[in-house]
Amino acid sequence: MSIYLEISENLQKGKAKAVKELVQKAVDEGLPAKEILEKSLLAGMDEIGERFKNGTVYVPEVLVAARAMKMGFEILVPLLAESGVKASGKVCIGTVQGDLHDIGKNLVKMMMEGKGLEVVDLGNDVPPKTFIDTAIEQNCQVICCSALLTTTMDVMADVVKCAEEAGIRDKVKIMVGGAPVTEEFCKEIGADVYTSDAASAADAAVELCKR
Amino acid sequence: MTNRERAMNILHYKDVDRLPAVHFGYWGELLQEWAQQGKIPAELAVNNWDGNEKDRILDGLIGWDFNWSCTRGANSGLYPRFEEKVLEVLPDGSKRVLNGSGVIERIKPGITSIPAEDDYTLKDREAFETLYKPKMQYTPERVDFEYFRNFNETRDKDRPIGLNLGSVLGNIRDMTSVVGMSYLMYDEDEELFADIIDTYAEMQYQCVKAVLETGAKFDFAHYWEDICFKNGPLLSPEMFDELCAKHYKKRNDLCHEYGIDVISLDCDGVTEKLLPTWFENGVNTMFPIEIGVWGDQFEPARKKYGKGMLGVGGMDKTALRKDKAAVDAEIERIKRLASMGGFIPCPDHRLMPGTKFELVQYYAEEIKKIRL
Repeated sequence: MSIYLEISENLQKGKAKAVKELVQKAVDEGLPAKEILEKSLLAGMDEIGERFKNGTVYVPEVLVAARAMKMGFEILVPLLAESGVKASGKVCIGTVQGDLHDIGKNLVKMMMEGKGLEVVDLGNDVPPKTFIDTAIEQNCQVICCSALLTTTMDVMADVVKCAEEAGIRDKVKIMVGGAPVTEEFCKEIGADVYTSDAASAADAAVELCKR
Repeated sequence: MTNRERAMNILHYKDVDRLPAVHFGYWGELLQEWAQQGKIPAELAVNNWDGNEKDRILDGLIGWDFNWSCTRGANSGLYPRFEEKVLEVLPDGSKRVLNGSGVIERIKPGITSIPAEDDYTLKDREAFETLYKPKMQYTPERVDFEYFRNFNETRDKDRPIGLNLGSVLGNIRDMTSVVGMSYLMYDEDEELFADIIDTYAEMQYQCVKAVLETGAKFDFAHYWEDICFKNGPLLSPEMFDELCAKHYKKRNDLCHEYGIDVISLDCDGVTEKLLPTWFENGVNTMFPIEIGVWGDQFEPARKKYGKGMLGVGGMDKTALRKDKAAVDAEIERIKRLASMGGFIPCPDHRLMPGTKFELVQYYAEEIKKIRL
């Protein structure tokens, strides 16, 4: 079995310690950091994402796989920077103002990072203006808003309005998601994309960043 | 006919004079809103819990018959609970608070909702053995024996009251957070997660047994779980079945021995994939069937499991924020469900801020006009 496959399989089983050791071994053997990232870590997260979308794995499997990816990724970060490898897109993500819940948002972030995107995590209780300022200052192609509560999802409409007022609506795509959010709601507030699960959100963000 | 008879007759496919108007309580913010609007007295907006005196007074103002989530039981949680304390006050005024379950929650001024978890204590075997296991033991102090010995004489005779069966997994989730529970499932100590569940479940079984042995009679028995979300369960159905099925069976078999044949379970989210474990091990009543926010459904479960599958809930509570036409449409829909028998309509979760007081009154009044 190739070391890439071995890393990917351990990642999918959530074996963080093994992933860390194997990534270090791959680096020590002189394998290129970009190749280790793409062929093992991202490949493993891709597989988990697909299985999550298909309903054959659940939240715990995604969380432990993402934890394992992070352990391996930390070893690669300096090497990737040295070799000038860039992310395939940039997204800012946060749970909207009034809402402190971030499990869903964190899942989406993990999945997006697992797709090779750079993610600026704004945390929770994020005011609309912060999403917009961050998108401008950090040149993000996508703003991603999450909400758990029916009482806070309306803040997403304010994010859309705020983007219009700042004159960046045609430059940035706005994604929405979270427990009470629906496709209908997304259309109603004038956001661009709604996805029902974290893996689909990552796929959608990758597509939006290509445009 | 009493509301007790109405409810239990419906759940046993027997005749009733009309549908009861049943609810599942309110978000605290809604009660504050109604108090500010002058719809209810301010004192009813605080310390209003399922089935307590304030809840029953509010039932009278609105026109409800009863709150389904009204149960009695032993103190079957962590005992004693962790001492709550503020660990840190952050510059924006928010606090990090250690709660009674050992979870560190973020509390921010002006934001009141489901707790947001920052960290947790139950991370490894040492924390389990030293901090949690001692709090998961059965002791007689957990049961108010005098109350339960007198229960049949002193209880409300008009409303159904359930025996609180506790929770097989939901409470564990509360102690660890969703993230922590997920990590524990895949801990290097492979037995740890099962040990936690088994220890807690055995204590809860002993609590249920002690209450039943007092001779107290209940109309139904009731679990709280909340282990599903928008896309289904928070863990794989196979793992859930392997870890939890035996505990449901043991507790439910005990209920059956004492003549309780309606066993309901409160789980938010889309519950379909966990229904086999619940139903095959004695849970036969879905509640609250969150159709409005999550799209959970009762009809497919009835089709799959037959008349043995009962339901309480399934009314899209969001209609109560809209208008009479929306409420009428919802009543028409749930009327069809109720006509199948074995189903009591009830808002599909606690009524949320923005719910219109007059629409709730209207709904309760209209539901009571329905003859089956």
